[in-house]
Amino acid sequence: MSIKQQISESNNQVIIAIENNFDFSLHQHFREAYSHCNTPKTDFILDLSHTEYMDSSALGMILLLKDHADNLGGQVIIKKPSDTVNKILEIAQFHRLVTIEK
Amino acid sequence: MPFQKQKLDSKLALVVDDSKMQCMMLSVLLKEEGYEVITANDGACGVAKYIEYQPDLVLMDINMPIMNGYEAAKQIKNISQGSLAPLIFITSLDSDKAFIDSVEAGGDSILVRPFTPEVFKAKIKAIQRIGDLYTQVKNLQQEQQKDEELAEQLLNGVIGARNYALDKIGIVKKAAAIFSGDIQLSVLCPNGDIHVLLGDFTGHGLRSSIGAIPLTTTFRTMTNKGFSLLEIIKQINEQLYDLLPANLFLAASFVCVSSTHHSVYAFNAGLPDTYIYSNNGKIKHRIQSQHPPIGVLPQLLPHSRLDVYSVEEYDRIILISDGVIEARNKAKEMFGSERFEKVVSESDFSQNIAVLIMQSVNDFCQETEQEDDISIIDIPCNIFTENNVEDIFSQPYFDENYEENIDENSLAINMSTDHQIITANDVLSTPAIWKWQLLLSGSRLGTVNPIPIAMSQIQAIEGSGEHWHSLYTILTELFVNALDHGVLELSSALKNSPEGFVQYFNEREKRLEKLTSGYINIKLSYHLLASGGRMLIKIKDSGKGFAVLEKFKNNSLNFTQNNELSGRGLELVNQLTETLEYQYNGSLVEASYIWNQ
Repeated sequence: MSIKQQISESNNQVIIAIENNFDFSLHQHFREAYSHCNTPKTDFILDLSHTEYMDSSALGMILLLKDHADNLGGQVIIKKPSDTVNKILEIAQFHRLVTIEK
Repeated sequence: MPFQKQKLDSKLALVVDDSKMQCMMLSVLLKEEGYEVITANDGACGVAKYIEYQPDLVLMDINMPIMNGYEAAKQIKNISQGSLAPLIFITSLDSDKAFIDSVEAGGDSILVRPFTPEVFKAKIKAIQRIGDLYTQVKNLQQEQQKDEELAEQLLNGVIGARNYALDKIGIVKKAAAIFSGDIQLSVLCPNGDIHVLLGDFTGHGLRSSIGAIPLTTTFRTMTNKGFSLLEIIKQINEQLYDLLPANLFLAASFVCVSSTHHSVYAFNAGLPDTYIYSNNGKIKHRIQSQHPPIGVLPQLLPHSRLDVYSVEEYDRIILISDGVIEARNKAKEMFGSERFEKVVSESDFSQNIAVLIMQSVNDFCQETEQEDDISIIDIPCNIFTENNVEDIFSQPYFDENYEENIDENSLAINMSTDHQIITANDVLSTPAIWKWQLLLSGSRLGTVNPIPIAMSQIQAIEGSGEHWHSLYTILTELFVNALDHGVLELSSALKNSPEGFVQYFNEREKRLEKLTSGYINIKLSYHLLASGGRMLIKIKDSGKGFAVLEKFKNNSLNFTQNNELSGRGLELVNQLTETLEYQYNGSLVEASYIWNQ
């Protein structure tokens, strides 16, 4: 499985790292990685440093994650997207929706 | 296959074994399980009977004369592609190799002698269970495919077939599934501009085309009614945000090609760059995505606006979906934007460039499976020179015969002053059958476009018809003049160069945003004529007036025929109207428009 999830309860953070391809096939796992985290003010860190490719359904999944985070009063932070992935985020103008840390 | 059809309930098994004794024993066991049985004594004969009877189950020996069981199994599996045709090898070869070879040859299971009747029957049940599951999946798949084909046919009829200027605009699409999540639309505006949309819904297939119908309807209807492109994008965004789940959205590039100003307005929300090429193959503009895809946010981001680009007659606008850039070959390399730009720059611009790009993507990918929908739209900027503008001029704003008749009659009845006198009398003799007015002031001037409102009033009362297209142009031009030069006090001199036009547009946006005072009052009154009618238009603005007055003395202006970018609007209005008169230094304009049935 190419999703790794790490919860650090002390500072209300959930880190989700995606390896290789971020596409529709991860739909279920991706959802599971955050849906049970219902602590208010949880921030979700999406580590895309090892993601090689991302398609538009991945953008959709990030939006679902953002909805979840918004409901908890937390935020989504995308970390270290690779060049290819960053290009896709840029085309979709996602820096206007979530924080992207390069 | 009459054999099978007579007894729909019972299943048919084929036993292939060179030992008649074995055949008989297996037949007995199968019959106890409710099977009809046919037999064959070598592989070749087994294949032949398989073809003839299409059994539900095959039991296959391995060592047989003429053709062995592996070869027969391979042939049967080859023939039966698309259905499961469960096949069990029955053998006394108890070795790893026999097991592996059986699976390799396409066998679904293997049963090694000796076995008890109970084990045999259990095996048959197990394999039958898999067979049933397979059939179920197969049926579902076929049903889904039928639905998709039907839906695709419907959508194509609704969407693609009604696009405007398909002979001039090159549109190429290649779907990854039956159904494309990509959408291409081109629609003619009442003022002769053309709105084009290339959209890419998340994913592909039926799921991703749910939003296609509301998108198409809104884009067409609002364009037809004369709403500006930005207003349409705002509306579509809100609509898709409401309709679609959070992970479904539309990456889209919108283009408005202006028929009169040598300019293009564009908005790219989430698609790869849209390009404007000059006809020597150089990139003039790259229109980058400047907004998250449509339907992601409840409203467009504040300060969202169209960008304006000046273009020349032979420029080309090219829109592409990400399927073009991300198409991959066997080595998993992407087609990429560099390759794309190179292909276009080396293309023959007299051809349909969309088709050329598609060919080169196909050459690049060879037989690789297509992962995403691919679409390309190629808009030649000279799309208007051949018919659109003429369309407007050739509309019956003044019946040619009527004019000729007057010329012929003028000698006889000595009415040399021409038809305007007659029409003036008409106005006096027929009172307005209805009147309508709208006064917009302050910030509403920047946010409301009154022309679609006026047009829908007119059409609600008088019915729709081609003849209102010219009236739309007249109202739009006069309103825009009142707003730009009257209320906003913009100088049209700015528009004299292509660069200036862009500057003009930017300045206009800026002033509109800040607008808090001023007004424009639009009054319409409609008078019936013997055939057709006359619309009197009065538009008054709060401005100080503008330089247009000098040009328009006595409605006898003669525009210089150089390629001035300003003044074209009024030139057009002057040709479409019966009378056109500016008063109060240009802050009041009165025009009348006649149409004949």
